[in-house]
Amino acid sequence: MSAAGGFRRPAPGEGVGGYVRVGLHEIEPGPGDMPRVVGHAPAAAHLRTADGRGVRGGMLLTMLDMVGGLCGGLAALPDGWVVSTNLSARIVRVEHTGPFRLDAWVLRAGRASVVTAVTIHDEGADALVVDGVLTSAVLVPENGPPQWTRPMTIDAGPEPATPLPTVVDWLGASPVDGSAVEMPLAESLRNPWGILHGGAVAALVDLAAEHVAGGATTDVVLHFLAPNRVGPVRATAVAVGSGRPRADGTVLRVEVRDEGADRVTALAVATSRS
Amino acid sequence: MATTYPPDRHLLRDLRLSFEHQAAGTSRAWMPVVPELAAADGAARAGALATLVDVIGGGLAAQTAQPDWIATADLTLHLAGAVSSGSVEARARVAHAGRTTVVIEVTLHDGEGAEIGLATMSFARLPRRDSNPDISASMTSSTSSMALPESRLQGSLIDELGIVVGAYGQGTVEAPICEWSRNSLGAMQGGAVAIVIDAAAQDAAAGTRAGPVVVTDLQLTYLALARVGPIRTRVDVLDARPGVVVARVELADAGVGRVTTVGRVVLTTSLQ
Repeated sequence: MSAAGGFRRPAPGEGVGGYVRVGLHEIEPGPGDMPRVVGHAPAAAHLRTADGRGVRGGMLLTMLDMVGGLCGGLAALPDGWVVSTNLSARIVRVEHTGPFRLDAWVLRAGRASVVTAVTIHDEGADALVVDGVLTSAVLVPENGPPQWTRPMTIDAGPEPATPLPTVVDWLGASPVDGSAVEMPLAESLRNPWGILHGGAVAALVDLAAEHVAGGATTDVVLHFLAPNRVGPVRATAVAVGSGRPRADGTVLRVEVRDEGADRVTALAVATSRS
Repeated sequence: MATTYPPDRHLLRDLRLSFEHQAAGTSRAWMPVVPELAAADGAARAGALATLVDVIGGGLAAQTAQPDWIATADLTLHLAGAVSSGSVEARARVAHAGRTTVVIEVTLHDGEGAEIGLATMSFARLPRRDSNPDISASMTSSTSSMALPESRLQGSLIDELGIVVGAYGQGTVEAPICEWSRNSLGAMQGGAVAIVIDAAAQDAAAGTRAGPVVVTDLQLTYLALARVGPIRTRVDVLDARPGVVVARVELADAGVGRVTTVGRVVLTTSLQ
């Protein structure tokens, strides 16, 4: 399959990776000679919830998307590269010390798709934080698969000279009504394919869930249905069923739309713990 | 295989499911809620509801992908309510139909029509092979069923699948791959896989101090078909506190020594 666009690698510290401060490193291959990737990220103040207890669920999912995506992409070489199609994850710990260690390995690599497992550990607390799976579709960019120097390394970039904005300010997100939040599609939030980064979509889903249910997001299933190219991008969350919270929180259906393109671009199910 | 599937005694017949395929990429299905489906709280277990989702979602995806065929990539189910009698209804719609993937969204409703859960499935589109079943006859707009007059569950789903639980509280269960639970490709049906994973997580939760809990969420990623058997599970409990357990479940086809499904399972206090 060919992709509609080319692939542009961001510079260290640029884009979503620079904001989340993730550094990624390919390590020795895993079973079946499949790639493995580890990463590190701080539990930085600008990534945390308003009460400061832990990093927002959306930012953890962004880390998952980045490390899983790189691992899946390396598994797709030399034929192509990947774009995320869905992720599912459970956040089992919402209070964080940091830094985080990210691990990704390949569960299955086929011609059309790659499935990677991802875990995120809080090294400071010596505890598992996230357990998830990322599925990606294999695409062939217009200008061919990216050429990497192996083993692959992506630096987080230099320490920012000034404090980074909060997640809400970074996304430029604001409430639309009681169930929806919206953000413009800033150039800095586009991924190497030129579309809104999957991590930014996950962050918007997290904000919508928090906006409606008021708690920390602990569980997300996110299907990327179409690219966000135009913007603004809006996420609308509605409680599933009666909305009565379960013992672990409220289950929400979240729909993401590219309002400028007038189409649904993602469908998510999120659990929000009060 | 296409003309003999499913056999007279089969999961898809004995659940007495009925279907109605509608226009514009939607389908509905119904499943009687009988005691044989029940979890410890008396409500239909998540694995049974996942089977309903798998059948209606798979049917709608296959219809959508025609003339191509499909392979299930993942199934997720989140429950917000419970149903312990009457019937449960699944309403499926196509959320996305692309060149390589199909995504289906399914809502579950109790006998009064109240929403009790939300499920999603995604499928890879595959070129059609001669061995793929012809589904055109089952895609009529009128209500249909695979049940025969004598079709019914003869024991609990756990017993019908031959699930044997190993050391108490460890989540190690084993089951054969039998004709009753095979799909049209000769592998264990995706819903049956969900039931095995449900049973494994339930057993692992019993080994924690969470108290009485039942499976409320399933996030399953299908990596390969389980054709040989027996299948075995391995469970890691990721979180356990009063009223909530989260577990990672790995299901392997021991006959070929390969992991075929991975999943995360959430168990909470009963939603009844």
